[in-house]
Amino acid sequence: MDTFWEETIFQPLQELGRQAVASLSSLLGMVILIFLGLGVGWLAKELVCRALRLLRFDRLCDTLGVSQEIERLGIVRPCSYVAGQVVQGMIILTALLAGLNAMRSPWTQNLVERFFVYVPHLLAALVILVVGALVSRFLGRSVLIAAVNARMPSARLLSALARIFVMTLAVVATLDELGIGRTTIIVTFAILFGGLVTAGAIAFGLGARDLARDLLNSQFRPGPKPEVEDTLRHL
Amino acid sequence: MSEEILKERVKTELSDMGPVDILVGIPSYNNAATIGHVVQAAQAGLLRYFPNQRALIVNSDGGSKDGTPDVVEKSRLDTQALLISHTLHAVNRLTTPYHGIPGKGSAFRTIFQIAAEVGARACAVVDSDLRSITPEWFDLLLRPVLDRNFDYVAPYYKRHKYDGTITNSIVYPLTRALYGRRLRQPIGGEFGFSGRLALHFLARDVWTTDVARYGIDIWMTTTAIAENFRVCQSYLGAKIHDAKDPGADLSAMLTQVVGSVFSLMETYQDAWRNVLGSLPAPLFGFPFEVGLEPLPINIPRMVASFVQGCRDLRPVYEQILSPTLVSQLASCAAQPTESFCLPDELWVAVIYEYALAYRHHVIDREHLVKSLTPLYLGWVASFARLTENESALQVDERIERLCMVYEQLKSYLITRWPLGTPKER
Repeated sequence: MDTFWEETIFQPLQELGRQAVASLSSLLGMVILIFLGLGVGWLAKELVCRALRLLRFDRLCDTLGVSQEIERLGIVRPCSYVAGQVVQGMIILTALLAGLNAMRSPWTQNLVERFFVYVPHLLAALVILVVGALVSRFLGRSVLIAAVNARMPSARLLSALARIFVMTLAVVATLDELGIGRTTIIVTFAILFGGLVTAGAIAFGLGARDLARDLLNSQFRPGPKPEVEDTLRHL
Repeated sequence: MSEEILKERVKTELSDMGPVDILVGIPSYNNAATIGHVVQAAQAGLLRYFPNQRALIVNSDGGSKDGTPDVVEKSRLDTQALLISHTLHAVNRLTTPYHGIPGKGSAFRTIFQIAAEVGARACAVVDSDLRSITPEWFDLLLRPVLDRNFDYVAPYYKRHKYDGTITNSIVYPLTRALYGRRLRQPIGGEFGFSGRLALHFLARDVWTTDVARYGIDIWMTTTAIAENFRVCQSYLGAKIHDAKDPGADLSAMLTQVVGSVFSLMETYQDAWRNVLGSLPAPLFGFPFEVGLEPLPINIPRMVASFVQGCRDLRPVYEQILSPTLVSQLASCAAQPTESFCLPDELWVAVIYEYALAYRHHVIDREHLVKSLTPLYLGWVASFARLTENESALQVDERIERLCMVYEQLKSYLITRWPLGTPKER
């Protein structure tokens, strides 16, 4: 009888208790890790912000055009603050993942494992996107200034095209890095570009010949040749 | 340093020559068509005006492919025809390739180095594409150094009212307002200087910067003024030289010249921050009148460039200039071409805010200076329209008024200029 009680009642209850204690300790570990992450994250944010401000990081970002890009995203904060926030976010995320890992369930462990495998791709994608945005901005401005100085009526259009082209490349590369619709994107991109070139060729050669000529005339043809050529010696 | 930039052959030749009193430097690159005339003028000038001095003409060549050094070697002077006699010393000639970054500055560095080697007391440098150069130029560039102890002699030319518009609108008035000395042609190309100043130039650590490429003229002038060397000017008459590359990009030219001036403002911020007003620099030579060829100018086209710049580059200008200036420029752009006018006050404020934006690295510096091109063309158009029927004297008065505006608004620049460590250039 005693054996029966022990096997059917006490042992399962003891097992349940052990599991509850183990789960509670894991949960407690997770909570501690998260709180630790929040604290360390806040501290790291403060340190990073102050260090970057001392190193005149905001001015560097202004020069490189990073501030303006961030502003365009609707974030009206200095770059040092944004960098601090990013560091804080990463630390909290890491703590959260470590906490989940502490739960020791196969599902959370699998999630954490997959996340850490994905992190390098995520960072690389972020870098590609940021560099792409900076290059597109720089190139766009170069084209704009050069086109205005060359008196091209379509300066803004050319500049926008340059920016769009670079950003498209950057987005394609980013998505490729993230492994999102890799084949689809490359095929779409190739079709789009191929299509554009083909459409252009057809427009020149066939149906829209006149339209293409008029459009190009209006956009790219410099104004009528001036009667008087400048012979200024500027220096 | 001499081991690095002077070849053994050159050093041997120099040691064979012995000490030299006067050195004339001629930088060149593919100037075979004109350099013979320049060398002959230099030789004639040295023989006629300095017959008792030991003189050396140095051609510092950038690797010409058209036989420029051969022309220098072969150019002979008919002293009989020039009525030159009784000279104590013959004028030596030396041609050497220069080393370092390709550019006029590197050519000058070699000239300074040779001046130091031979212990020259006075030096003159002249461009190799000059057609209006005469032997008198060497007297005018060297005499103030030898007889009056000046360290730096800047040229003073008679120029057409539309000639040298970057000099007239930016370089001269800005240099004058900043450093307080009125040198009318700070980037003239022909200069005289003492051996002492040549040594000073040579000792500066600038020979791997833009100074070695294209900024040497304004660097020399600014260094001489800002470091309190004795400066003066000599009247040389008209300057006629081979047309520079006709397709030369104006914005590239602005980048080089205005970028150099702005960069020097950082280097010499301690020299100009406390300067208010300006003093005239002594002028030597007889200011004779010269006939100047008219320069055709297309005002509507320049106004169109200005209008397009104000419209298309507005986002760029909004980063560089204050909102008030951007809106004032937009108002100017809305004027009809026939009455187009860019007021001096607005122009000077634009230049000062550009200098501040350059200092603060608001955007890429090359972009910054290149974006000035349409505004500069607006100033030229306004200036040309206002001076269309004015005499040379009236035009000079107008430039003088512009200079006064630069001087009056300088406090605006000073109060906004950040204090910081000046950088070596």
